[in-house]
Amino acid sequence: MNQLVSKEEIDRVAKLMRIEIDDHVVHIDRVQKMIEYFDILDKAGLESEELIIQEQKFEDLREDKHIPYNEKLIDKLKNYKNSYVRAPKMV
Amino acid sequence: MAKIGLEIHCQLTKLESKLFCPCKADYRGFEPNTNICPICIGLPGSLPRLNQKALEKAIMISYTLNCEIPKKISFFRKNYFYPDLPKNYQITQFDAYGHTSMGYNGHISIEGKEIGIRRIQLEEDPGRLIYEGSSEKTQITLVDYNRAGTPLVEIVTEPDFENPKQVRIFLNILVDLLENLGVSVPTLEGAVRADGNVSIEGGNKVEIKNVTSFHDLEKAVHFEITRQQSLVDRGIPVELETRQWDDRRKITVSARSKEEEQDYRYFLEGDIPQVLLDQDKISNLKSTIPESIPSKKAGYTKYLPAQVANTIATDPYWSDMMNTCISTFQNEVTTQNEDYINSCITECGNIITTNLMGLEDTKEKREKSNINAEDVEDIAKAVVKKEITRNLSKIALQEMKKTGKPLSEVISEQDLGNISDEADLAKFIEEVIKEELEAVNQIKENPETVNFLVGKVMQKTKGKADPILTLELLKKKLVS
Amino acid sequence: MSLAISAVDYVTEIKNGNITVEEFISKTIERIKKIDGKLHAFLSVNENAIIQAKEIDRKIKANENVGKCMGMPISFKDNICVKGSKTTCASKVLEDFVSPYDATVVTKLKSEDAIIIGKTNMDEFAMGFTTEFSAFGPSRNPWNSEYVPGGSSGGSAVAVSALESIASLGSDTGGSVRNPASFCSVVGFKPTYGLISRYGLISYSNSIEQIGPLTRTVKDTAFLLNIIAGIDSNDNTTVDNKEENYLNDIDAGVEGKTIGIISQMTKGVDKEVSSATKNAVSQFEKLGAKIEEVSIDMVEYSVASYYIITATEAGSNLARYDNIRYGFDFDLEGYEFNSYISKARKNFGPEVTRRMILGGFVPSAGHAGKYFLKALKVKNKLTSEINDVLKKVDLLVAPTVPILPFKFGEKIDDPVALFLIDFNTVTANLTGKPAISVPFELSNGLPIGIQILGKEMQDKLVLQAAHALEKTTNLPEVPV
Repeated sequence: MNQLVSKEEIDRVAKLMRIEIDDHVVHIDRVQKMIEYFDILDKAGLESEELIIQEQKFEDLREDKHIPYNEKLIDKLKNYKNSYVRAPKMV
Repeated sequence: MAKIGLEIHCQLTKLESKLFCPCKADYRGFEPNTNICPICIGLPGSLPRLNQKALEKAIMISYTLNCEIPKKISFFRKNYFYPDLPKNYQITQFDAYGHTSMGYNGHISIEGKEIGIRRIQLEEDPGRLIYEGSSEKTQITLVDYNRAGTPLVEIVTEPDFENPKQVRIFLNILVDLLENLGVSVPTLEGAVRADGNVSIEGGNKVEIKNVTSFHDLEKAVHFEITRQQSLVDRGIPVELETRQWDDRRKITVSARSKEEEQDYRYFLEGDIPQVLLDQDKISNLKSTIPESIPSKKAGYTKYLPAQVANTIATDPYWSDMMNTCISTFQNEVTTQNEDYINSCITECGNIITTNLMGLEDTKEKREKSNINAEDVEDIAKAVVKKEITRNLSKIALQEMKKTGKPLSEVISEQDLGNISDEADLAKFIEEVIKEELEAVNQIKENPETVNFLVGKVMQKTKGKADPILTLELLKKKLVS
Repeated sequence: MSLAISAVDYVTEIKNGNITVEEFISKTIERIKKIDGKLHAFLSVNENAIIQAKEIDRKIKANENVGKCMGMPISFKDNICVKGSKTTCASKVLEDFVSPYDATVVTKLKSEDAIIIGKTNMDEFAMGFTTEFSAFGPSRNPWNSEYVPGGSSGGSAVAVSALESIASLGSDTGGSVRNPASFCSVVGFKPTYGLISRYGLISYSNSIEQIGPLTRTVKDTAFLLNIIAGIDSNDNTTVDNKEENYLNDIDAGVEGKTIGIISQMTKGVDKEVSSATKNAVSQFEKLGAKIEEVSIDMVEYSVASYYIITATEAGSNLARYDNIRYGFDFDLEGYEFNSYISKARKNFGPEVTRRMILGGFVPSAGHAGKYFLKALKVKNKLTSEINDVLKKVDLLVAPTVPILPFKFGEKIDDPVALFLIDFNTVTANLTGKPAISVPFELSNGLPIGIQILGKEMQDKLVLQAAHALEKTTNLPEVPV
């Protein structure tokens, strides 16, 4: 039997992911179901597996050149006086 | 016994572009949010493009700090939310599966003490928060992303420092080193930032953040040692925590409560495939590393006093110029004698430190400079060959700078050339002797008066007379 | 003039002057107006399509250079950035986002004179199987409107199947192009990972997803691939396909090729699907292929691995949607940062929210080793196994979806059951292999597609096999 997912755990994760949720019960139930399903991975015989990662050559990396972006991007975003982006206050 | 470790962030301001996009690496001077593109502002669908030179510079720093460099380099995501972080994750490096950052297990010696360098990594700088409005209630938070994506090298040391003084020495050496390598201009505001951590007598490690200058870091470390010691003396254990430096009150304060322990969920950045470092390429890079400052200084002390040598050695702009001058004159070894060569080189050093540095004291002035090593060499040669006095060489330099004309033209146009021909000098000496009869008569009683006469000759010749030769000739004339 | 024409034939008809671009585009717009109210394939339609069509007709008449697409109407899943167009990912969180730039695939198609006819509906942020998770209402299967069209590229599949565009580009993370292609009886292709640039594709799970075309014929997919495939400096994960021509030798067939039937993917499927698969296999035999049964053990764990990896990556890829720089209308006055963004992100739909919670859970400190690391190892082991199998056989075959298309609301409440819809498709994503779904049979009017997988970078061989199988079918026209 694996750990039961608690309301505190769901609260912590919702806070971590910055999403306001009302329906904790639904999530508790669902995450519990999923991690129970994920337990099948314990049977997969993975102990010695190395990780293969996509590679690229040093020569193919981008050249260090300043190329200004050809448009005034700030105008296309939510902006404050066409200069800044406004953020809610930090506490 | 205190154990202090440092975490230094150095912007690679000498790169042309940001770490993951072609916007300018040095964001200073741009209007807000005008040095941005879809990548550094985290638009949906944008992807990072790794800057090759950033890797090169980071490798050079790793080498200089005697680090081991992995064969494969990866990047990771550090996930957290903050208004200055456009993607709400920072692309950085992390050793989840073995060593895959830019360097590890290095060391550097500072005045006899060896400091371990735990790791060196590349990461992107976030944007900047600006506050508009004075009252805390009505203040609004504004974000400028010009800095977002600027390449940073993070250097993490082992907790090998024992006191704040060592910290200061290390930081000064490191800053010189970074400038000498040509990776950063540390004098730019915000280009090099340092945080620290402190523990005493095997107790918990306390992180110190929000330190804005090296000077403050030293104070903060000192304060923290004292604070921890006083706790220990009273039998109170030091808490494992992060504290902020409060610059107003000059103390550290607790920054984070336990609940907000950050869970960064580090995982491999799938948009940047692992980079294979070609071993040949790495060796080539090693050979491009500029000579170290101590080594340069040692080289210059052959020709210059230690102080002067040090001044030139610690500045890459001047040491480059000095090196060119040295090289030029040393190449004349088949045609000139050693004394001449050494004198010329010494004179170059003097011209640079006494005159040129003062005229070109800012980055802008140097960038616009029309004076190069060749000009300095010309002046040095003229002084050594006594074609111009040292005093007038200063004027010549100013004139060359103003008009852009070469030394030879300036000398003839401004009539700055030495009068070192004995016959020419003799005429002036004759005139002065005639005009200063009283002084001449005083010579017998007061031999020092001859200097007054030398002064008069200098006046008459508008400084062009060779003072030493003038003195010699005057003495000869008056004695006889 | 029929709208049921293939892309390749359309080009011929335009070149021969049998139809004009304006005629075709006008008829397409009419069709959309007529049926899309019910089918809801589109989230937005290009108002300027007819004007753009006229311009291409003008160029053709004036004998100017016209691109390969000759004005054909192509639609794009609404997670692909089109400059100046709303790009919402079918989410309230991006309902006002207008992309300031074009995705690479859009740039490429525009430069070949394709006309962007509109943006198609999808499951929110590509997380889903039926478009029931779209914030703007589901799309309907044109073969039977009570049935789901599949997902997440459901809108694209409907648009192509219901003759509302000649072709569409969708995205495939775990089957999101192949699955709706199968349900709607069109061709859906997921290329080798890295073959098509993801620049401008709004990321869901960046290490495994690809943009993929949905078309009415295999040749059309090859035609599009010739335009959109290839290395892109804006996407470091793209690979060099050496400008392969996918239309060349499309008729090569499967004579002498060995085809493996993946046993894990054929057991436990709906009986109609099983019978269709057997028919497809026997067709391949008739075409001269050698058939073998193969076993890939790790397929059993592929869905679990897939959901852990995608939840983790999605949790990070969707972090940037904090409504600060772009998103939707929501005044930040009076809010503190964390509560503002948490409230803004409450506008994610229920499925996205569930995946975010999962995505915060599985890679978090304390759980990462148990879930995330294991999932990566499964990905690895699965890749080794499939590579071993592909040394013995040239191609692999399996049903695309284990079940027949189902009615709206039937599966939505059982998460694990829903996930298993992807059982046959996630393997190709996790291992980076090219995979295609070919429409093969109808069962009581409901479409069944057959999937063919190949070795990395052997996309051409997969297309050849698909084309050969397609030639054996004789499917009716869509009943709309």
